[in-house]
Amino acid sequence: MVDKRTTCTGCSLLCDDVIVRTDGLYIDEIFGACLKGKEKYDLITSKNRLLTPFIREDGELVKTSIDKALEKAIGIIEKSSKPLLYGFSTVSSQAQLKGIELAKLINGFIDSNSIICQGKVLNASKQTGITLTTISEAINKADLLIFWGANVAESIPRLLNKVLFSRGKFRMTGREIKTIIIIDPVKTASFGVMGVRDIALKVEPGRDIELIRALKEECCTPDSIPSTGVAGIDRDDLKRLLIQLTNTENGIIFIGQGIVGSSNNSEVIQELLELVQMINIRQQKGRMSVMMLGGHYNMVGFEHVALSLLGKNHSLQFSDNKLIETSNTIISKINNDDFDCSIIVGSDPISHLPWKLSKKLASKPIILIDNKKSATLNFADVCVPSAITGIECGGLAYRLDHVPLELEKIINPPNNIFSDEEILSKLYEGLKRG
Amino acid sequence: MEMIVNTVRMVDYDQVREYSFGDDQSLKEHLAIGILNPEDFNKLNLTPNLNLKLSNENGEVTIKIKQNNNIPIGTIVMPVSIWANQLTGFQDEILIFKNFKINAEATRETVSDIDNFLKAIKK
Repeated sequence: MVDKRTTCTGCSLLCDDVIVRTDGLYIDEIFGACLKGKEKYDLITSKNRLLTPFIREDGELVKTSIDKALEKAIGIIEKSSKPLLYGFSTVSSQAQLKGIELAKLINGFIDSNSIICQGKVLNASKQTGITLTTISEAINKADLLIFWGANVAESIPRLLNKVLFSRGKFRMTGREIKTIIIIDPVKTASFGVMGVRDIALKVEPGRDIELIRALKEECCTPDSIPSTGVAGIDRDDLKRLLIQLTNTENGIIFIGQGIVGSSNNSEVIQELLELVQMINIRQQKGRMSVMMLGGHYNMVGFEHVALSLLGKNHSLQFSDNKLIETSNTIISKINNDDFDCSIIVGSDPISHLPWKLSKKLASKPIILIDNKKSATLNFADVCVPSAITGIECGGLAYRLDHVPLELEKIINPPNNIFSDEEILSKLYEGLKRG
Repeated sequence: MEMIVNTVRMVDYDQVREYSFGDDQSLKEHLAIGILNPEDFNKLNLTPNLNLKLSNENGEVTIKIKQNNNIPIGTIVMPVSIWANQLTGFQDEILIFKNFKINAEATRETVSDIDNFLKAIKK
């Protein structure tokens, strides 16, 4: 048995200080992982782990060999003129690259889960600009942490350990000088770490935009906040918030699903990014940055791979093996039935999407590449099981702060189980051969 | 009674974990739930034996109820799952899964089964 330091793929924080005790065949113990991280390692032997390829025959899923599953998948893709590729947030960047190459070869439309999540912030930043930061900066320099619509204690469990309770390289003190502000309609588990000088702001549901606009107004015209407060937050608390925002040496706003998932999210995100720019212009001694809290461990990776390859980070439509302009998104493609088969990689859209979209997605053949059972499996025409990246195969992944990290293989995958990259390569080669 | 639903991810009610380690029964136990303020619980005339039926223009679903003082009045918090997605929708290519309106009523109906959702999708 050896203890091996590894990078956990339980969430987008990609903790690189997790230790696994292994003999190279099995993992015996895990040290330093959170609940989500441990569950990722437990998936290796889970009863719901997919270890056999399936194909649908006479309406039933039947076990088959990997070659037959790939043959059937290639047959479906060859008959298709409008394939849709979706998912790609829980795979390595190498697999993301291979997915884009496959989409190009088959003239498909490809997108990742990021488009309905943190990708919205990057899209808005094309208009407003964005000041990003890294986890290391947060550990070493931050003195103000604002969690806006983000319950990090449950979604990214070790983030608070790292950025709040750590003692930074350039500061003599740790938690003592760090102020946290949580803006959320629900008193979540994250409120449990708050101290006496931290600020808890329970904004009324769906009214974040009013709060942001009031802060922007107050930045330009002092004393413009009405005496009754804004969005359920009283005037004094808002003033305290603004003092913190404008006096911080190194402040970070963590943008969570509460902002990204709101019904008017594009407006809210744009106004929030404008507020950050406004504060940075007024700042005398420090700066304010933002960090996006995507959930899947390599959601950011797809953005980087697509941007570096094609100069566009989402909704990639190919025609004649070239990228073409499109106003379509994954939502409009599915809603308008503008596809004739789908290749789903490491995702469960049947559970994640509104049922009206799930129904449309399920009405066309589905090729599923995943490592565990899901609702999507019930509708798949072909299912190819994959190895668990970061445990059974290596690859590159981008942390939530856009820092690339190398994931290492710890143990061998089960027999005839290939990585997502290898499966996509086999499909690519098979289709190229014709 | 008109209320709003907010879908969230929670450690104790996690869809990925249930699909990784659970079965249909545990999926239902951990994901077919809504959490609301005790004040709303009383307003809806709920009792521990009753369930809650939620409906809107997108669909309807019956779930179990838990009470929590930290939930704002007028809001039901649901874990992200196929149950919550019976009510979520989309508008102008934006998925609406936070703060959307629903009608809530106490019911003796049993909690919705995932099999029924899957059958409805298959139809």
